[in-house]
Amino acid sequence: MSSSVIPRGQVDLVDFVDWSGVECLNQIGKNPIANALKQGYRDDDGLHLESDADEQLLIYIPFTQVVKLHSAVITGPEEEGPRTVKLFANKEHMGFSNVNDPPSDSFNISADNLKGKPVTLKYVKFQNVRSLTIFIEDNQGGGDVTKLQKISLYGTTVDTTNMKDLKKIEDH
Amino acid sequence: MRPSPAYFWLVVYSPSNSPDSPIFANSILRRLAQTPPIAFVLLVASPWFSRSVLFILSSLDPSGSLRVCMVMSSSVPQATMICIDNSEWMRNGDYAPRRLQAQADAVNLICGAKTQSNPENTVGLLAMAGKGVRVLVTPTSDLGKILACMHGLKIGGEMDLTAGVQVAHLALKHRQNKKQQQRIIVFAGSPIKHDKKTLEAIGRKLKKNSVAIDVVDFGELDDDDGKHEKLAALVAAVSNNDNSHIVPVPTGSSALSDVLISTPIFTGDGEGGSGFAASAAAAAAGGMSGFDFGVDPNIDPELALALRISMEEERARQEAAAKKAAEDDAKGEKGAEQASSSNDATMSEAGNTSAVAIDDKRRNLSDDEAALLEEALAMSMDVGKNKSVDIADTDMSDATTEDPELAHALQMSLQESTKEPVSQSDMSKVLEDPSFVASIITSLPGVDPNDPSLKDLLASLEGQSEVSFFLRLELCKSLNRYLQKKVV
Repeated sequence: MSSSVIPRGQVDLVDFVDWSGVECLNQIGKNPIANALKQGYRDDDGLHLESDADEQLLIYIPFTQVVKLHSAVITGPEEEGPRTVKLFANKEHMGFSNVNDPPSDSFNISADNLKGKPVTLKYVKFQNVRSLTIFIEDNQGGGDVTKLQKISLYGTTVDTTNMKDLKKIEDH
Repeated sequence: MRPSPAYFWLVVYSPSNSPDSPIFANSILRRLAQTPPIAFVLLVASPWFSRSVLFILSSLDPSGSLRVCMVMSSSVPQATMICIDNSEWMRNGDYAPRRLQAQADAVNLICGAKTQSNPENTVGLLAMAGKGVRVLVTPTSDLGKILACMHGLKIGGEMDLTAGVQVAHLALKHRQNKKQQQRIIVFAGSPIKHDKKTLEAIGRKLKKNSVAIDVVDFGELDDDDGKHEKLAALVAAVSNNDNSHIVPVPTGSSALSDVLISTPIFTGDGEGGSGFAASAAAAAAGGMSGFDFGVDPNIDPELALALRISMEEERARQEAAAKKAAEDDAKGEKGAEQASSSNDATMSEAGNTSAVAIDDKRRNLSDDEAALLEEALAMSMDVGKNKSVDIADTDMSDATTEDPELAHALQMSLQESTKEPVSQSDMSKVLEDPSFVASIITSLPGVDPNDPSLKDLLASLEGQSEVSFFLRLELCKSLNRYLQKKVV
């Protein structure tokens, strides 16, 4: 597993993912999205995300604060790894019926990407991202099952108020 | 004289990932505050575990003084679409009275079960035959709408299963609360003209969109065109971790709804489960053998509750009459007894977490009890003041004037129904003090402190630094036995 190079100035956004809202449609129960997203799980070669009824996957990732996305690393096996990926920013509750809406970005994953080379996103489209939906349309081999090893998102946070830090002003 | 049993609540709370778990926690605490038991045990457990605990406890406790209430927090909210078959095949009377009516009963039951298990659940209705697939009610938690629609449904046409399922899926997609899980319940009564492959394709599409399905296979049961096979294939295609089921219902004497009650459609997917199993178990544990008064509390909760409340009231009235006849012994004890008999009435409800109606009835009952208590107390006070009394009454008034703590305790139990949580916690603290308890017992009229059995009781009390709830339980039981002996 090659180590991923974090682009300068960016941080790994895994810390800003709102885990209670993460959803994935068409995943197999025993290989859920956490295997690909969560710290620790995603680096474990034995754990991966697998699709169920067919090869498409729809992943919804909300963030705890507004972020800017710079690049992403998506890795998977050669044959069953994803190929066509579409990203939608700030679209809530997408279903497979509206995946044909114009995406914020779409790209094809190459074999290099599957090994860990980051995909640079259209930065201008991801300046103000509250939630990200990843639609995986097909896989490299064209089979019925798509497998993902890891999804990492890199970017920066926009300075927003963290409600937990708000404290009552004491009387001076 | 009726012994006043000490009530001991066992609250088994099963939290889940449901966002309204705090609501249930609050309702439990509120209920406990209103009718405080002597003690309660809070078990945070999985549903499976709590059910087995309930079963064990109910079998261990023959005297019925253990009231067990199981409050399960709900499962994840669900949005359900029920697809009714109203084709010409439904005129058949093999399910009484007609297949369509049998379906209507089943629909009523399902709606009730769903909304009971979680107030956020919604149910919708759709007719598959007739002029075409029609959505009668979009998912709502208003049962009245659904029942009204069932009422006006006409028979005709042929059932279109694939279109029905697809329209149901669409209706669920546009549900208001996106956090609800999607579920379709199909009543497949007529033969199916689609082929297996089509059904499997639809099933896979449902699975992809995380929709679960339950199919009730009834009516035309011949396997010539493989109806059961096709439906089984559909369910297998949709099923993800066994969340979808097929229920074959053979023609027979029992109604469609009765057969359905024992199926996974009602008992849930094994997550939180519906409240039915819980309330049935609680009813059994509470000393009532499942269906009291011949009315299933699950089917008709209001009626069952009304019957139960009126039984309690009748019992309380008879009690009060008996007490007025045997005034001497009754007076001092009445305070504690009225309190616990009102507890009795309130706690004998099965684990119904719902309605304001129940709360109202409960409060009315406590008011009745409190009124009776006031009456009796007033009588005794008056009698004391007039001084033209017999000795027993004088004892009572003396006791009252001489023992301000006793008067205070009686006063507090009087105010019970109005000033609930605060006074109750005072009372329980007061009851913990062994010397106080001992003094109450000795000052009760009709109690002879020199009686050997009572002496033992007091001796055991002295030994304790704090009257634990077990001891209080024992205390109450033995006191009642003793006083019973005295009356008889």
